[in-house]
Amino acid sequence: MALTRRQALKSAGAAVAAAGIARPAVAQKNPILVGYLPALTGPSSSTGVGINRGIQLAIEEINKSGGIDGRQLELITRDTQSDPTKAVNGAAELTRGVKVSAVFGPVNSGESLAVVPLLARTNTPQVHPCWVDTLTDVKKYPMCFRNAPTNQQIGGASNRYVVEVLKKKKVAVISDTAGYGTASLNAYVPMLKQMGADVVYQASIDAANPDLKPEILRMQSAGAEAIMPWSVNAGFLSRIINTRGQLAWDVPICGQTTLGSGQTKALLEKPEYWAKVYPNNFRPVCYGAGGKLPDRTVAFLDRLKSHKIDMGDTLLWWIALGYDSPNMIAQAMKAVGPEPEKLVDYMNQLKDFPGVYGDISFTKDKHDGYRDDQVVMVEANSLKDGAFNLAPGYGA
Amino acid sequence: MLLSIVLSGVAIGCVYALIGIAYNVMFSASRVFSFTAGTLGMAGGILGALFILKLGLPVWAGFLLALAGGAILGVVTEILAVRPVLKSLDQHLYVLSTLALALIVQQFAAIEWGTDAQPFPRLLNIERNSFDQQFWLPMVACAVTIVGLEVLYRRTLLGHAFRAIAEDNYAARALGLPERNLRMASYAIAGVIGALSGFAGGQMLLAFFDNATLLTFYGFVPVALGGMGNNRGAVVAGLVLGLFQQAANFLVGGVFSSVAVFAAFILVLLARPEGLAGVALGRRV
Amino acid sequence: MDMFTSGARPARASFWSSPAITAALPWLVLAAIAVALPLYGSGYWGVIATRACVYWVLVAGLNLLVGFAGQLAIGWVALLTLGAYITAVLSAANVLPEVHPYLALAIAAIAGALFGVIVGLPALRLRTFYFAITTLGFATIVRQIALAWASVTGGGVGVPGPVFPPPFDSQWGFYYLCLGFAAICTWMTVNIANSRFGRALTAIRDAEVAAEASGIAKPRLLILVFLFSGATAAIAGGLFASLQSYITPDAFTTELSVLFFIGVLIGGRGSIIGPLLGTILLTVLPEFAAPLVAWSTFLYAVLLLVIVLVIPGGIAELLDFKNRKPLETHRALVPRPELLKRLLAQDDDPGTLTLEQVELHFGGVRAIDGLDLTILPGQVHGLIGPNGSGKTTTLNVISGYYNPQRGRAVLKDAVLTQLSHHRRAQLRIARTFQTPRIVGEASVIENVMIGGTIDGTGSFFESLFALPRHWQDEKKLHETAMLALSAVGLESLAGVRADRLQHSELRFVEIARALMLRPAFVLLDEPAAGLSVEEIRRLGALVVEMAKNGTGVLLVEHHADLIFDICDHVTVLNLGKKLAAGTPAEIRSHREVVSAYLGG
Repeated sequence: MALTRRQALKSAGAAVAAAGIARPAVAQKNPILVGYLPALTGPSSSTGVGINRGIQLAIEEINKSGGIDGRQLELITRDTQSDPTKAVNGAAELTRGVKVSAVFGPVNSGESLAVVPLLARTNTPQVHPCWVDTLTDVKKYPMCFRNAPTNQQIGGASNRYVVEVLKKKKVAVISDTAGYGTASLNAYVPMLKQMGADVVYQASIDAANPDLKPEILRMQSAGAEAIMPWSVNAGFLSRIINTRGQLAWDVPICGQTTLGSGQTKALLEKPEYWAKVYPNNFRPVCYGAGGKLPDRTVAFLDRLKSHKIDMGDTLLWWIALGYDSPNMIAQAMKAVGPEPEKLVDYMNQLKDFPGVYGDISFTKDKHDGYRDDQVVMVEANSLKDGAFNLAPGYGA
Repeated sequence: MLLSIVLSGVAIGCVYALIGIAYNVMFSASRVFSFTAGTLGMAGGILGALFILKLGLPVWAGFLLALAGGAILGVVTEILAVRPVLKSLDQHLYVLSTLALALIVQQFAAIEWGTDAQPFPRLLNIERNSFDQQFWLPMVACAVTIVGLEVLYRRTLLGHAFRAIAEDNYAARALGLPERNLRMASYAIAGVIGALSGFAGGQMLLAFFDNATLLTFYGFVPVALGGMGNNRGAVVAGLVLGLFQQAANFLVGGVFSSVAVFAAFILVLLARPEGLAGVALGRRV
Repeated sequence: MDMFTSGARPARASFWSSPAITAALPWLVLAAIAVALPLYGSGYWGVIATRACVYWVLVAGLNLLVGFAGQLAIGWVALLTLGAYITAVLSAANVLPEVHPYLALAIAAIAGALFGVIVGLPALRLRTFYFAITTLGFATIVRQIALAWASVTGGGVGVPGPVFPPPFDSQWGFYYLCLGFAAICTWMTVNIANSRFGRALTAIRDAEVAAEASGIAKPRLLILVFLFSGATAAIAGGLFASLQSYITPDAFTTELSVLFFIGVLIGGRGSIIGPLLGTILLTVLPEFAAPLVAWSTFLYAVLLLVIVLVIPGGIAELLDFKNRKPLETHRALVPRPELLKRLLAQDDDPGTLTLEQVELHFGGVRAIDGLDLTILPGQVHGLIGPNGSGKTTTLNVISGYYNPQRGRAVLKDAVLTQLSHHRRAQLRIARTFQTPRIVGEASVIENVMIGGTIDGTGSFFESLFALPRHWQDEKKLHETAMLALSAVGLESLAGVRADRLQHSELRFVEIARALMLRPAFVLLDEPAAGLSVEEIRRLGALVVEMAKNGTGVLLVEHHADLIFDICDHVTVLNLGKKLAAGTPAEIRSHREVVSAYLGG
């Protein structure tokens, strides 16, 4: 992708600087501090970089329109560098150092797993978009909310598409050896079996392995009718797609959203190899019938364009998710103020928050706010402005 | 299927062997193993992608510039990380200085080039078949390097000087050989060979900053098993490693294949510290 | 605290003298800052300080391995991973019945100690760089297993870290727990550093042959250190798991491993306070430099390169004010041979050291060709000959560095050529080297004390906890070393760093170190090289006095005058064969010898 880590850092830095300049004008009222723990650098930072664009836009808009009761929203950013130890240090600084009112992030599961229990200890309201199922637990972490799908929802959508729409019964499930990959593999294989599918091949493979031909050949000889890869590593995913193409093996590939990312595309040997690749995505940011986005999303795209935010090298859902999160926190704060208990009470009753990324609802017993039916599959090679066409069979 | 394993095993084995040779060339000139060997391979891949894909230079120009980049990196290694610590070789400071330089270069690449793997160009616009660029290029590169080094070492005056340095540093200096310049030249050659390996393996390994770590380790295996300074041993051991790795990938798969490779390496070394083809060295008192 | 008094080691009486205070001052300041942290630091700095403590628990042990023993274990994060997972898995009760966190930590320590030996074993067989690479291999293996063995480790999703019971469950409570571990580790490593074991480790690092000649068994000692640093690293792992609250394999990166390693080296080899400050620096620095956070590993690497090239002594060298004071320039070496009586008193019959028909060749070159040699106690035996005649090689056969193809070296009932190197010291055979083999960063007296390593009675663990026998050993070694230094005339330089001495002085340091063994036989390899005429005369008197006290001396020399002045017996070698042998007078008149070497 064209955006390098350095550029991402610069843009984040510029945003921080802009907030700093804007502050004196409203100095009569203290700003409300919101913590933010993205991975802007490091090996799994492309998600964080995409999300960051939406966040910065939302904060700018909120503050331009008067902030929260005249108080500015100040974002305190700590780059986690995709490193759990840095995330823990960052969480400590946000909660025990600057004492923020709420935290958004981290955006990678490995970091969230460490940070969520820590924030629970300091009673800090938290919103994060990580998928690992155990990351919300209303008993252990009563102040932690997820405004994104769970792994169950993601895998469920993929599995349903393969088994029920494509009617494939023999499936090969494959992942890299990173945490996210192995966790997904372990969760989805039993789900597939429960749906009556036959998992003819499953493996976790070192993403650095340069040659995946043996793996793909073994899937082929096991009689697989679909490949389901789980990894956020574009290099690894592109090798799977390329090898399938080289072997001229005509099976669908369904799985992780990164299958549709610009980086994966850049690593394909031929553009046509991207056909019959169906990544996960989210209905509100997909082109429906006639190639149209929902109205809410069209309006959002216009705002992005007017702020000259680049979408060619990232995914729309990352930006949308980033944009929704501060808006959701701001809406709660406008209603009840920044007190943690009141914020959580408000969030516990949040109903259909109209996000670009999706409608979010929480209850006291359920902090997973994303709707099942909004998780969909799309056609990878329809990528345009960071969004995709729904995969065939959604009848939209 | 078997053909596929053998082909890719041999191809990746050639890349490892070339890194091993880069280690050896540096070692022969200075009695120093340098952690920058894998970094040279990483640089070859990234520079190739940078010049050909990003800057749009012709393939030959990108190739030559990538090798030149490797040579510069080799010379910088010699000046910054090797020459200053040669006086105190027995303190093993070279391990630290070359590790530091390798980290500096790798981190610089991570920040400037990015931490995502990026595509490496196809050199010839021909249809893929089972004997693709990713297979033949490393093999050709390895063969050319071996032949080239043989000719250089056996047939040229410069090569004789290199060998004199490798065999007896002090005697060579006493003979009036320009030891320092020869050492720098050796490091430049090692840089070219390292960059060549990364360039040749670019289609397989992509242009990726973390290849430095991978190649530093896997490239050292041929040196350790083939015997220090023994280029032919390195090639044989490199090919064995490549085939063993692909076979392990195929047979046990997943995470256990890398565990198998590392464990086999450590066990073989413990059994024969001087390598499978090496000779035990006497100690200096 | 004992940690501080040990800084004043070993003469406890001088504790209140000013050097002791200077040495203890940085420790006191650090301890005060650390203990009082909750009074002025926010909870955030509490977390950072806790992290520094946890890392130091690991680095303290690693420091003995890397900084003292010179074993370049780059992949020590393997042990952190192991300890973290064992503690977390056992206390999370997801596979086995729940184990109390302290018990889990103890089990992790034991497992870490054992695994430390496994990771370390290649060090006994492999060269430095090879060993460094194998430790990285182990780090990968452990991480991959943590990923793959999902039923126990949770795979990529990981396991929650342990929570220690009150009062250590609160943030500051946990901080004090980690600080306590860090203080104990510091105390233990200071004890080791200031014991015969610590000095032996530095000898293995900088002067391996001298270490062996002093009777130091490298494998045994290194295994003890691997046990110790494996255990501390695993304990650090358990604390790390608790600090992280949740562990996944992502947390155990190579960068972290490199951070530990660099922490030791920028601190300075052979120091405790240096690596401690280095660890604190590397933990805290990124918190101040938020905009540079992406460049942090890059900057560590630059720091490492600068340290290696510009200040190889690291932070410790910067703090070493004592050794900045210029030394007296015209200092004379005045040995006091009369003191040797107190060092060398032989109470039993030392026997005779003989070489029988020794033959040694390298490839086609015969270095020694059927040599017979008899060295009697109480005599000075000179060994002369041109360069390459096999003089030093003969010493090396006696020392065991070369194994002759034929023949043997015998002392009393022991066949030397069948013993491993370090066993010669037990037979009271000491030696010096053509180029002095000393530990430059250690003080002169520490270098001399290395020579007496085998005379200690306390075990490694008694030294670790500073038990009484540790103090007895130290007191005795220190007294003997002062005596040996006085005998060679260097007592005024006892506290000076050895690399500040002149070459001639180092030769006498080596002799003092050899004297520490109360040698029955001493092998001197060109001790007069580089000495002034006056110094050679004093050396001669010293050697003669050694022989008078019953020690057999084998003297390899080029200075003919010295040989003829002090030897009782002279052997002349040529091309590995005995050319002539006899009293100095006989040799002086031996025609072939005269024409060949003595220039008429």
